[in-house]
Amino acid sequence: MRVGVLAAWWLVLTGLLVWAASRFQGFPLAAAREAAVADHAFRFLMLMASPVFTLVMAALLYSVLSRRGQGDPPEPPPYVPEHPAVPRVWFALTAALAAYVIYNPGLVGLAEMREVPLSQLLGSSPGGRVRLASLGGAEGDLVVRVRASRWLWQFEYPEQGIAARELVLPVGRRVRFEVTATDIVHSFWVPAFRTKIDAVPNLTTYLHVTPTRTGSFEESVDLRVQCAELCGVGHALMASPVRVLEPEKFDAWVAQQARR
Amino acid sequence: MRVTGPVLKGLLYGAVGYVLGGPVLAAVVRAAGGSFPFDLELAAGSVLGTVGWLAGVGMWDVWARGWFGLPLRSWPEDDGVARYFRFTTDHKVIGIQYLVTFLGLLFLGGALAMLMRWELMRPGMQLLTLNGFNQVMSLHGIIMIAVAVAILLGGLGNYCVPLMIGAHDMAFPRVNALSYWLTPPVAVMLLASLLVGGWDSGWTAYPPLSTVNAPGQVLMIVAVVIFGLSSILGGINFLVTIARMRAPGMTWGRLPIFVWSVFAASLLSFVVTQYLAASLLMVLLDRVAGMSYFHFARGGTPVVYQQLFWFYSHPAVYIMIVPAFGAALEVITHFARTPLYAYRWVVGAFLGIVGLSTIVWAHHNFTSGMPDWMHAPMLATTEAISVPTGLVFLSALGTLLRGRLWLRTPMLFALAWVWNFLIGGITGIFNADVATDLHLHDTYFVVAHFHYTIMGGEIFALLAAVYYWYPKITGRMYDERLGRLHFWWSFLAFNATFLPMFWAGLHGMNRRIADYPAALGSVNLWTSLAAFLLGASFLVFLYNFVVSWVRGPRAEANPWQASTLEWQVPSPPPVENFPAPPAVVGAPYVYGMPGVRHAVLGAAGGSER
Ligand SMILES: [Cu+2]
Ligand SMILES: [Cu+2]
Repeated sequence: MRVGVLAAWWLVLTGLLVWAASRFQGFPLAAAREAAVADHAFRFLMLMASPVFTLVMAALLYSVLSRRGQGDPPEPPPYVPEHPAVPRVWFALTAALAAYVIYNPGLVGLAEMREVPLSQLLGSSPGGRVRLASLGGAEGDLVVRVRASRWLWQFEYPEQGIAARELVLPVGRRVRFEVTATDIVHSFWVPAFRTKIDAVPNLTTYLHVTPTRTGSFEESVDLRVQCAELCGVGHALMASPVRVLEPEKFDAWVAQQARR
Repeated sequence: MRVTGPVLKGLLYGAVGYVLGGPVLAAVVRAAGGSFPFDLELAAGSVLGTVGWLAGVGMWDVWARGWFGLPLRSWPEDDGVARYFRFTTDHKVIGIQYLVTFLGLLFLGGALAMLMRWELMRPGMQLLTLNGFNQVMSLHGIIMIAVAVAILLGGLGNYCVPLMIGAHDMAFPRVNALSYWLTPPVAVMLLASLLVGGWDSGWTAYPPLSTVNAPGQVLMIVAVVIFGLSSILGGINFLVTIARMRAPGMTWGRLPIFVWSVFAASLLSFVVTQYLAASLLMVLLDRVAGMSYFHFARGGTPVVYQQLFWFYSHPAVYIMIVPAFGAALEVITHFARTPLYAYRWVVGAFLGIVGLSTIVWAHHNFTSGMPDWMHAPMLATTEAISVPTGLVFLSALGTLLRGRLWLRTPMLFALAWVWNFLIGGITGIFNADVATDLHLHDTYFVVAHFHYTIMGGEIFALLAAVYYWYPKITGRMYDERLGRLHFWWSFLAFNATFLPMFWAGLHGMNRRIADYPAALGSVNLWTSLAAFLLGASFLVFLYNFVVSWVRGPRAEANPWQASTLEWQVPSPPPVENFPAPPAVVGAPYVYGMPGVRHAVLGAAGGSER
């Protein structure tokens, strides 16, 4: 009976939460392939967490509502020996759940984020070539060199021979960011892209992003390069606008910059 | 004078030590034509100042004289309030010293949080400058880290562990006193850093920023290294005490769960704290000795610091939270009036957490540009920690479901711990998962997550434990009505403050910022108002804590009719704890087993009920 009541509580609460989590839309603007991967993983984790959360809630609510004792202090209930199977089953179930979450969205999401097959991800072991780089290889449709200094961003387009203080990208192209800093550690983050990489002095770090929709900082503050690593006085204000353009408009922007 | 003498002497010797080690030494070296940077002056001065302080406050008289063949001096053991203001070796005195000192620091850190929330209430700058905000944020961070590391272990661990294992004191009482008396200079240095420009690199002090910022950083480094020393000494003391000082019959399987949690946390703090000291000392050497570990202009490698730093600082969260697990489970089992469910599994879980926590550190570095092959294993080990943590939940829930709950204030806080830590734990998965963490890292999502684990988890468990052991420690009963008011007020305000922060982080509010885009205005306004309510709720606690200690009704030896040893002696216990070592004859929690006992006390023992 007690187990039945608890299970009923759990099922009802889980149903409610799964319903809410599967409809969760509370994400900021998603403007890149990477954002879709991250948001999918986020929603999936919410779904996986729902039955765990509600199990604890059900047990907590049930015990407070129907296991309250009488008296100061209540008379202890007669001791019943523990069934040895319960912790074992609990351990096995939680271990299985953890293993699954490690696999998906853990490793699967990591591979998707880096656009490499899972096998290659696990193959890039210490025995192989150690790269201070994100996987995903050198290829990209467009290279942007990002340079962080206290407290501003500079963007260089080496293939186009231009530089800018605003990040302008063509939609649908895979961009390879080569990031570094001139003084201290900063972090290159565009909330609408859902990914970031530190800008470290004496080191070049890499990040690949494929923007999937046009837009600008004026339309959404999520389209900004925001420094995400504490870098002193100007840290909070170290942001630059991002604009994602149709390819032909991007080409026009490049041409215009080159004339400057 | 009898009361304040040692502290005044300590301050005087400390000041002399500072002047000799700092300005005087610097003047001598400079007069001889050498160079002595101001950073070095600060560092050398504060180290010697700390030595002077220790000597003055009584370490010289009761301990160090012996090293030079001089006769030791001692104070009467039972000397009223004066005991609390000098180098006393009684673990109960030290426990109270820790508890009161770090509650004071908790309030100070909380006040700094209020200041930050005032600044963040609206977009734009209201009260602080950009740099001022960074200083306040850094100070809040490090003070709260110190509180979280020391308040449960140093305060309640010191007070309760010897009593709970039937010992008359800790294994090394003088080392214990040293551990405590090292902490006031830490607080002084952290606050004094504001006089030399403060520091703006947060509690994490990432270089190269920390190699080039204001000299306040030096005081922070010395303070944290000294605090680490105190932590290591405390860890060794607990390990030896629990291993060697248990009463006859107190086998490892009969230890109360709080004692096990202190053991596990001490093992961690003994093993990993030196990595924090090492990483900070490297920063200090970059600053004062011209080394180039991290300095950008000299070709340093800043990412190495982050690996070393987190090799301590991730396990550190378990140094904070494992004793909280123990305290919460202790309260839950006594107030559910039933033995702790799955006791052996929980002990295994504690030790499993200790082991696993040392191989997860780089989950803080997913976006740092570290080698890519480290992502997958760190993600896996981090998420694996949810398995032993899950066993802690199993134990709590199994005990609750099998018990008859007595919903007094300690139990209410322990139940809140289940809720808060559940949210903290689940959101931790989102930070361990690379696909979601690349966005969430260094945002308010992380801020919310670690406040749910450390404040909602540890501090709520601490409050459960403080209310629980209050009558034992003070010999007085707290006011139950105020306790309940504090519970409901702080629990609701806590969740109202920190739940919206997850949303803010997801929506692009990064952490450690003095200002933010106007689009995030309403969530920050709400958070600030809720935070002020949360801060105010602690005034209820403060009032109850202080007034009950002075005027509360006298507490019996065992007001909770609890089974463990500390409740079998008078409240507060006499200096030597037990007239004779108690004989432990059974498991620690013997509820619902008529005729079964945990321990038998000597003839002069306290009230056995
Ligand atoms: Cu920054
Ligand atoms: Cu960590």
